[in-house]
Amino acid sequence: MLIQILNGLVYGGMLYIVSVGLVLIFGLRRVVNFAHGGLYMLGAYIGFAAGLYFGFWGGLVVALVLMALLGVLLDYGVFRPLQDKDHMTTVLVTFGILLVMEDMVHMIWGADTISVAMPALFDGTVDISGSPFPIYRLLVIAVAIVVVLGLTLWLRHSRAGLYVRASSVDALTTGMQGVDTERLSLAVVGLGTALAGLSGVIASPLMALSPAMGSSVLIESFIVVVIGGLGSFSGAFFAALVIGQVHNLGIVYLPNVSSMLPLLLMVVVLILKPSGFARSH
Amino acid sequence: MADGYMLEARGLTRRYAGFTALNNVSFALREGEIRGLIGSNGAGKSTCMDVLTGRGKNPIGTVRLGGEDISKLSQRERRAKGLSRSFQKTSIFPDLTIREQVRLAARNAELDNSEEVISELALSSIADRLASDVSYGDQRRVDLALALVGRPKLLLLDEPAAGLTVEESLSMARMLRDLSERWKLTVMLVEHDMEVIFAICDRLTVLHLGEVLTEGDPESVRSNPEVIRAYLGSSFA
Amino acid sequence: MSSISSPSVRGAQAAPGQGIGLYLAIGCLVAVLGFALPFVGLPKNLLALLTSASISAILATAVGFLVRQAGLSSFGHAAFYGGAAYAIALLVKYTSLPAEVVVLAAPLLIVGLGVVVSLILLRTNGIAFSMLSLAMAQAVYELVMKWRDLANGEDGLRIRFAREIFGLKLSFFQKADTMFLVTWAVLVVVIAILVLVSRSNFGTLTIAIKNNEERARFLGYRTLWPRVVILALSALIAALGGTLFALYNGYVTPSLLHWTLSGEALIIAIIGGTRSVWAPAVGAFVFVILRDVAGNYTTHWQSIVGLVLIAVVLTLPNGIGGALTAFTNRFGGRQNG
Repeated sequence: MLIQILNGLVYGGMLYIVSVGLVLIFGLRRVVNFAHGGLYMLGAYIGFAAGLYFGFWGGLVVALVLMALLGVLLDYGVFRPLQDKDHMTTVLVTFGILLVMEDMVHMIWGADTISVAMPALFDGTVDISGSPFPIYRLLVIAVAIVVVLGLTLWLRHSRAGLYVRASSVDALTTGMQGVDTERLSLAVVGLGTALAGLSGVIASPLMALSPAMGSSVLIESFIVVVIGGLGSFSGAFFAALVIGQVHNLGIVYLPNVSSMLPLLLMVVVLILKPSGFARSH
Repeated sequence: MADGYMLEARGLTRRYAGFTALNNVSFALREGEIRGLIGSNGAGKSTCMDVLTGRGKNPIGTVRLGGEDISKLSQRERRAKGLSRSFQKTSIFPDLTIREQVRLAARNAELDNSEEVISELALSSIADRLASDVSYGDQRRVDLALALVGRPKLLLLDEPAAGLTVEESLSMARMLRDLSERWKLTVMLVEHDMEVIFAICDRLTVLHLGEVLTEGDPESVRSNPEVIRAYLGSSFA
Repeated sequence: MSSISSPSVRGAQAAPGQGIGLYLAIGCLVAVLGFALPFVGLPKNLLALLTSASISAILATAVGFLVRQAGLSSFGHAAFYGGAAYAIALLVKYTSLPAEVVVLAAPLLIVGLGVVVSLILLRTNGIAFSMLSLAMAQAVYELVMKWRDLANGEDGLRIRFAREIFGLKLSFFQKADTMFLVTWAVLVVVIAILVLVSRSNFGTLTIAIKNNEERARFLGYRTLWPRVVILALSALIAALGGTLFALYNGYVTPSLLHWTLSGEALIIAIIGGTRSVWAPAVGAFVFVILRDVAGNYTTHWQSIVGLVLIAVVLTLPNGIGGALTAFTNRFGGRQNG
């Protein structure tokens, strides 16, 4: 049972890292980035390709840097010019970007699934209450915890973080003193895409790479974000934890209908609280 | 309506987390009266309109329309009872023609006077254009038309002249005065433009920090030192 | 609707009521000409392509109508489309109901589903609706993929129809030269009905709710049910498309439920244009034929679609249909004036 809960934490942790990137971008730019799953996928592929030369960790660094740059580009080239248009415009444009991205990955790396080896240092198991558990999975949980703590500190204790939090609760029309909002949004979108890439890379030893891997993550992270309440950081955290458990227990005990469970949870939340459980209004 | 009041509001209150936007506000309007509701920004004017119309959560206080208690009714039901409003921010339907939306507004009223309203508000020549394609001044009149159709018992107008030129707002004021006399409309008007207020209002209620500062005819309000200090300033003295 | 208008408002900003005659004439002409297509000696594969295109057009019309009347962009209509096809396959497999009953019952089942789904999804706003429609539909896809005993997973199911349906031989529905007449007829009827709905009082009300829900409520209207009705109608039309697909092809696979199909339908609707009821159907014919042509030259159709979508969203907000309307108005305006 403990093993199951840990596995749920692994999945929930990865889901959190992807989803919180979505929340960051939504919070500041008020757009839902449909390309986000594609960024997760692209990050995983870049990590894999660079990993062939620099090893797993080198690949991770390359992927993070490139994904952050891509995020800056996305903010500068897409979100900023579209900020005065209605929400659906950005949704459709990012959807178009997702299609192009999938096709590019398909062209470069092919449609076949690629498996990525565990980094050697963590390629073993530890004994947890009598059964072996891969160390790498514990590492994934640790990475997720680091992201949670890092983001929380940043959001609570920096001026920029305060601005991001305020903006995610209520779209700000005017800037805040001492905060260059245009530069901040470049940084925040860059951070969001880097987190998508991070999640993709650390997930890659656990699940095979394929061009379609992004859409399934996108869908579950949508559920996380909506259940948590659009734009809520703490909501996304709790929702990711719960969905991680539900997802994992579903696969173990109700394999036929496992995909329906997160959805049923979402339905229940929406009926009880249409704006998600972190929002009261 | 034994006491002759079209609208009686008692103890209107609204609290948000941390502060009270409207505190125990009461007033009563006679049939056919045009009442101005004035006060500085944040005095609670729009909140007062919202509570009267049942917008937002948990309004406190009683609202009687023509003697009937409507405090527990939804926005939709209040409209059906004859309480109508316009919005501070132009609130129309950009993808419908002017005629389509005025007719839509008339469909739930006992009386379909959409054509009459269109011509009274000088919208006839543009009635078949999309609302998004006409000028701002015309859009304000469309907003008014949506509120006026069906000859409501009580009309709440939230800054109908906002953003209009001096000429446009005075002509709107004249039109309102004229319509209220002919149709026996009772009107409550929130407006910053004092020219408009003094041109058409029978009585004024002054709000300050969520409470009623004073109430009276325009002349006495204009010369009330408290009002001058809190709102009008020296320029109107 | 509006009657004769003043000349000053003619042109691109023409109100919805103007030039009805011209549009009605063009629409009737296209509808009638369509029925002649199987009899003018077109090659078989082109006719098969046109049959698929008219089924896609029905799906795109459903998605576009939801955008037009309710402002909701669905990324999950494959659930209604593929859902109807799967409902047929499963009803044929597990029950002994006559094929006619199955074919009529499947879309109705899906409408019931649509009402339930809409009561849940319409509690959210526009963006969350798009996200959740995607999630819901994809969950159905996963369900079919994983629950192999139910519907044979990714291999799909062959549908063993009876030899005759509605008194016609099964081959009537499975050969392009005859089936095209059916799909075209359904498409024409669907568009005609939706045009009537969009021009009715109810249609006006739903546009009003889309534009400004609070004002509509304050004009004394309930605002949830009209949107539920629009979504259910849209689901019904998507389900009709899926029903025709199942009849025509005689098999179902999970790709009918996949989000790429939903996304494609939305893209077609956007490229065709959502300002007019008929424009998504035009988009579908352009899309399906271009895809077929492009297939001879490139494997990067998906990138092309993505780039075209971005280009249309940024430069032609009313899509192909908007451009056609502007052209027709100018043409008609010159003739009249």
